Amino acid sequence: MATSLGAPRLSLSPKTLQALRRTLPLSFSKSLHSKPLLRPSISHSPILLRLPRRRRLSSRPSASAGNNSAAASSGGDNYDFDLFTIGAGSGGVRASRFAANFGASVAVCELPFATISSDSTGGVGGTCVLRGCVPKKLMVYASKFSHEFEESHGFGWSYETDPKHDWGTLIANKNAELQRLTGIYKNILKNAGVTLIEGRGKIIDPHTVSVDGKLYSARHILIAVGGRPNMPNIPGIEHAIDSDAALDLSVRPDKIAIVGGGYIAVEFAGIFNGLMSEVHVFIRQKKVLRGFDEEIRDFVGEQMSLRGIEFHTEESPQAITKSEDGSLSLKTNKGTVSGFSHIMFATGRRPNTKNLGLEDVGVKLTNNGAIMVDEYSRTSVESIWAVGDVTDRINLTPVALMEGGAFAKTVFANEPTKPDHREVPSAVFSQPPIGQVGLTEEQAIEEYGDVDVYTANFRPLKATVSGLPDRIYMKLLVCANSGKVLGVHMCGDDSPEIIQGVAIAVKAGLTKAQFDSTVGIHPTAAEELVTMRTPTRKIRRNSSSDEEKVKDAVKSTT
Amino acid sequence: MARKMLRDGETEAYDYDLFVIGAGSGGVRASRTSAGFGAKVAICELPFHPISSETIGGVGGTCVIRGCVPKKILVYGSAFRGEFEDARNFGWELSEDINFNWKKLLNNKTQEIQRLNGIYKRLLTNAGVTMIEGEGKLAGPHEVEVTQPDGSVQKYTAKHILIATGSRAQRVKIPGEELAITSDEALSLEELPKRAVILGGGYIAVEFASIWRGMGATVDLFYRKELPLRGFDDEMRAVVAKNLEGRGIELHPQSTLTELSKTDEGIKVVTDHGDVLVADVVLFATGRAPNTKRLNLAAAGVETDKTGAIKVDEYSCTNIPSIWAVGDVTNRMNLTPVALMEGTCFSKTVFGGEPTKPDYKDIPCAVFSIPPLSVVGLSEQQALEQATSDILVFTSSFTPMKNTISGRQEKTVMKLVVDSATDRVIGASMCGPDAPEIMQGIGVAMKCGATKKQFDSTVGIHPSAAEEFVTMRSVTRRLTVGSKI
Repeated sequence: MATSLGAPRLSLSPKTLQALRRTLPLSFSKSLHSKPLLRPSISHSPILLRLPRRRRLSSRPSASAGNNSAAASSGGDNYDFDLFTIGAGSGGVRASRFAANFGASVAVCELPFATISSDSTGGVGGTCVLRGCVPKKLMVYASKFSHEFEESHGFGWSYETDPKHDWGTLIANKNAELQRLTGIYKNILKNAGVTLIEGRGKIIDPHTVSVDGKLYSARHILIAVGGRPNMPNIPGIEHAIDSDAALDLSVRPDKIAIVGGGYIAVEFAGIFNGLMSEVHVFIRQKKVLRGFDEEIRDFVGEQMSLRGIEFHTEESPQAITKSEDGSLSLKTNKGTVSGFSHIMFATGRRPNTKNLGLEDVGVKLTNNGAIMVDEYSRTSVESIWAVGDVTDRINLTPVALMEGGAFAKTVFANEPTKPDHREVPSAVFSQPPIGQVGLTEEQAIEEYGDVDVYTANFRPLKATVSGLPDRIYMKLLVCANSGKVLGVHMCGDDSPEIIQGVAIAVKAGLTKAQFDSTVGIHPTAAEELVTMRTPTRKIRRNSSSDEEKVKDAVKSTT
Repeated sequence: MARKMLRDGETEAYDYDLFVIGAGSGGVRASRTSAGFGAKVAICELPFHPISSETIGGVGGTCVIRGCVPKKILVYGSAFRGEFEDARNFGWELSEDINFNWKKLLNNKTQEIQRLNGIYKRLLTNAGVTMIEGEGKLAGPHEVEVTQPDGSVQKYTAKHILIATGSRAQRVKIPGEELAITSDEALSLEELPKRAVILGGGYIAVEFASIWRGMGATVDLFYRKELPLRGFDDEMRAVVAKNLEGRGIELHPQSTLTELSKTDEGIKVVTDHGDVLVADVVLFATGRAPNTKRLNLAAAGVETDKTGAIKVDEYSCTNIPSIWAVGDVTNRMNLTPVALMEGTCFSKTVFGGEPTKPDYKDIPCAVFSIPPLSVVGLSEQQALEQATSDILVFTSSFTPMKNTISGRQEKTVMKLVVDSATDRVIGASMCGPDAPEIMQGIGVAMKCGATKKQFDSTVGIHPSAAEEFVTMRSVTRRLTVGSKI
């Protein structure tokens, strides 16, 4: 990472800026707030904001227009900052950087660094970098090697002694990398000229944030505090760990119960299984990954079972007990399983909206505690905005980045931009992993009625030589009337990497014929996506039976 | 499906509607799809063996028996060495003695290839195609002569003849050339070499360099140009060269071999720089030549070009209206999926009543070096040559996440070339792990004219390498028309 000094206006170190700000009288922010504004006063209801705001944004003197120096934007307007962001995770960092690049004076506050989050710990980089995507993927890499060792036998490799895994080395190297990344994120903010303030931010009024008692005024406030793992309140829950802790265990679990069937649960199941723990997954439903394509759910469950993970389906946790030898038992509606060294709950995440002062300033929340926002990420309070997991739209890092970028454009670049939540691709880093974009088969039928379903379920070349039971599953959903590809789902090696490019095509609204006109790359797994000639089934809303199996392969094998 | 051939009454006069010479990728595809249209089809192919010759081949062709498939299997096998190295910093303790049993891999590879050979035969049988073992030659515009393994000769007549005999590795004429091997033998060596010398800078050369290095051999790679992989984007060529070196391969640019001789220590190799090396194996990866010599093309008057490739029009028809050719034997773009496309288009044109030209635009391809390279569309150099407006180049060079822990000093490099007037992405390349898998979807988007804006509007998949392709925000350089790189 380059650490050049950047533009002259950045030559004041954040610390100096911070010190300067502390010496400024902050009490005037409230009186400012009540002075007549240039903009017409409009309803605070997010829905009603839509039309008038576009006009207003383009006509009002925005914070950015003509304000390309920090001096002008911070001093001239009587706010300490044009933007104060609470939370320096993916969304907050992106929004802050972009806003600063558009000329805004920006501060962001974040809790002190710790691998495990709480009301008083966090760290620059946020969930993604410190307790989510990144450490998770590093652990996935680490755990995947055991499968590769197995594969290697079929390719002629053998070991005098079986490879062993040293847990401590992995955790130490992982944490060193996280420290490096949090440093990089700090530098990114610094280089963008964003003031970083360590501490817990709380909203005092629509233009004031308190960080551990110090007050800062801002024209706009952005809440990007993310979410946190949530555990049910059952007896003995204090013995359980969440995903934060699971990423930073000091020893390898001998035998672990993972409660939950979502992506976090299946990812950790793969991680611990690969690192040679005995893994039991307890899910409430019959299958993992509710909301995903049904056949993908079946397929990934089968493949994970083949790799040695034991699933306990339709079991809800009721209590955890700790025996004298320290081992844990999990009691469910079906019985009790004992002998666990660890019990992990991956039972959802909650927006971090408590103790933020939201209720007092009138920021409206949804039933599950997420901040309600309009299409531009504005809350029910005009000057307060929110992006990322705290809004509980699509809780993915790249979506938070998109929301943060769109927010900055809307507010500071005079370019009202709605984040586009359609056809967002996503991945599950289970083993094997899943990549998907667009609609599931169930959604496609619901929305379009007449759908052609193309599927492939095959043994990849590597597995034919390794002799392992690995397979790949692919599904393409096509609108029967327009030929448009509505959804692509894949489970198997490299799925997340493969789906990214496909997502560009799906997002661009390409048709099946256009997929077919693309020449394959041989030999790859991905080429299968452009060589699916015959639909596995044609689903027609008006046909007497729901599914018309297509057996006449010749008809379309052209 | 109407049987067109029967309707016009002509079929009666011929044994077959279509006779295909060569059951490789293009021939099998054309046979199957033609039979699917209702044509009566026969196909001839030489007997099976991993190493090809004038009289040896096998159903499945180069791709399945001596190309893509066995090569990829060996790449998989050799890539494990890097994985073992990478595993250590992730906490894995591996014994110093990791053994590699070449014979076992070879055996498993041969088994897989025999299995695929069987599958291809079944595909033909199930499609109703008649299979004939033997060497096919032209005997006239509508006649093929097949010499069977027992020496007997059989003649067949057909309304259309399709030549799909592919190509074969070529040797270089230097003293001692008989001591060298080609890629055919390299895929089936009895002994794994400890010291390998490779002549050639094309994809076959770099792939074998990676394979043998991964299996523990020392590898010396000699090529004429400054960089390997002529024809690919120059910047990516440099990346590949750097990675090959980083993985321990000795590169000898702008040099060639002048003489080979046998000694007690191995094959003595003399270079044009006067250097002398001793090797267990010398591989000539110096190009491939179309298999047209023994086809008796003169019997029907079929024309070839200077390289010996059969000349065809846009529909794959030769200068003789009843004779067609697809795949490597036409030396257009020598890739399996292209031969498949040509085969399908031929069937549609001749038997489907739907004249169809194969489309050579934006064909993605891959080099399975370790790490691999994959590209689609134009290189930066090609884009500039063809440019009518400024060219925007976006590049990204980053340490893949796995390497942040493994400590491997290898960057992944990606590049998008954009036409500034239309905003269309006209070239994409990547060198790094999973590049071929990643590039397929990019290929779909580009084939359909996706713009940079459409790339950017796609949300990333995090954390992946591929997400970099949709998050390249700043232009690395802008090239004006007529400028030189």
